[in-house]
Amino acid sequence: MSKLIQHIVRFITLVAVQVLILNNVQISGYLNPYVYILFIMLLPPKLPKAFVLVLAFVMGFTIDIFSDSYGIHTAASVLLAYVRPGILSLVSVKGGEDLEDISIKQLRLGRFFTYSGILCFIHHFTLFYLEAFRLNEFLDTFTRALFSTAISLLLILMIESLRSNSKTT
Amino acid sequence: MRNLFAFLFRHHVFFVFILLEIIAVGMLIQSHHYQASRFASSSNAWSGQVLEHFRNSTDYFSLKKMNHLLAEENALLKNRTLEPATQISAIKKGQYQYISAKIIKNSYNKRNNYLTINKGSVHGIENGMGVCVNDGVIGIVRDVTQHYATVMSVLNKNTVISTRFAKSNYFGELLWDGKSHHFAQLHSIEKYVDVSIGDSLITNSFSSIFPEGIPLGTVNRFQRDETENFYAIEVDLSVDFSNIDYVYVIKDLLKKERLKLESKQGE
Repeated sequence: MSKLIQHIVRFITLVAVQVLILNNVQISGYLNPYVYILFIMLLPPKLPKAFVLVLAFVMGFTIDIFSDSYGIHTAASVLLAYVRPGILSLVSVKGGEDLEDISIKQLRLGRFFTYSGILCFIHHFTLFYLEAFRLNEFLDTFTRALFSTAISLLLILMIESLRSNSKTT
Repeated sequence: MRNLFAFLFRHHVFFVFILLEIIAVGMLIQSHHYQASRFASSSNAWSGQVLEHFRNSTDYFSLKKMNHLLAEENALLKNRTLEPATQISAIKKGQYQYISAKIIKNSYNKRNNYLTINKGSVHGIENGMGVCVNDGVIGIVRDVTQHYATVMSVLNKNTVISTRFAKSNYFGELLWDGKSHHFAQLHSIEKYVDVSIGDSLITNSFSSIFPEGIPLGTVNRFQRDETENFYAIEVDLSVDFSNIDYVYVIKDLLKKERLKLESKQGE
């Protein structure tokens, strides 16, 4: 039960942080960090995949409501949840299905970095291209996606290592 | 039949994925209709409230500055009422009503930026109304609920503002290319027009959204290929979109009459 509460608290905290703080943080106009995807990344692998998809939908939809973006976060989050098992099996030793839950402790830092990096990049890529919805600004959008991924990844790793540290102490 | 169900069940994850993506992309595609209203926008009652409460608490940090700005504006307006009416406003006096509103959510670093204001249909805000500040044009109201509204800012790829030079009557369209929130682009200015750096650009009377004469910006750079018929003009926007707080929503009391008349020309 406490795990469920942990996940619910994580959902609310990440939405709050994203909507109230990060959406207002404007760095040079190019960089939009999105850390709410951490919620989807940390969902237990044992959860039924269809359920994970629905949860990702709800998460993305909530962010969309606050960001006036009419569906791009929803689409990108659902895609993220869909490719998650694939990436997980890529980075983990035994295919990922056996893991209790995902954290820096469970996968070593290197694997976690790869896991979150790839997922983050796919998500941001989809997001920024959907937002632009056309290909003539290809290079611009690509740069945006790249730099935003870097910042989001940095923030995600920071949050995740804080979480791991507080658990062990 | 049973084989079909077995197939669907085996790959149910994929089908759930496709279904959810269709819903998401469906919402996205729907939003490209300018006039249609959305249910999932931040003008939603509860998300609007959350944003307003948060904004109320952060406002305390800028009270002093706001007071100063408002006092100055008061003085400016007091001065104006004592002046004789200008040529343009004499006939139209009373045509435009200004409703003041506060921005509770700002955005200027995305490709399409939308703002949220704390006034809605109960205050008289309607879809398609223009939004401005003293400095210039902010955008156009897009979605309205009872107490909140979203505004499609100038910094949005869907926004087109009818613009003219202050010094002549040549007009064009102001668009935004998504690169910097300081600059927008002026299109449709033909090659024989006299353009110089620093020229002021204002709204013209063609749109039923903005009254004439609201500043948009000044010409920052311009160039023209020998082969092109039009100038490529970069406009330094007069409004600093990273620093806006109180705005005016413009209600055109004669809008319905004008639109009805103009639509007859299509018959």
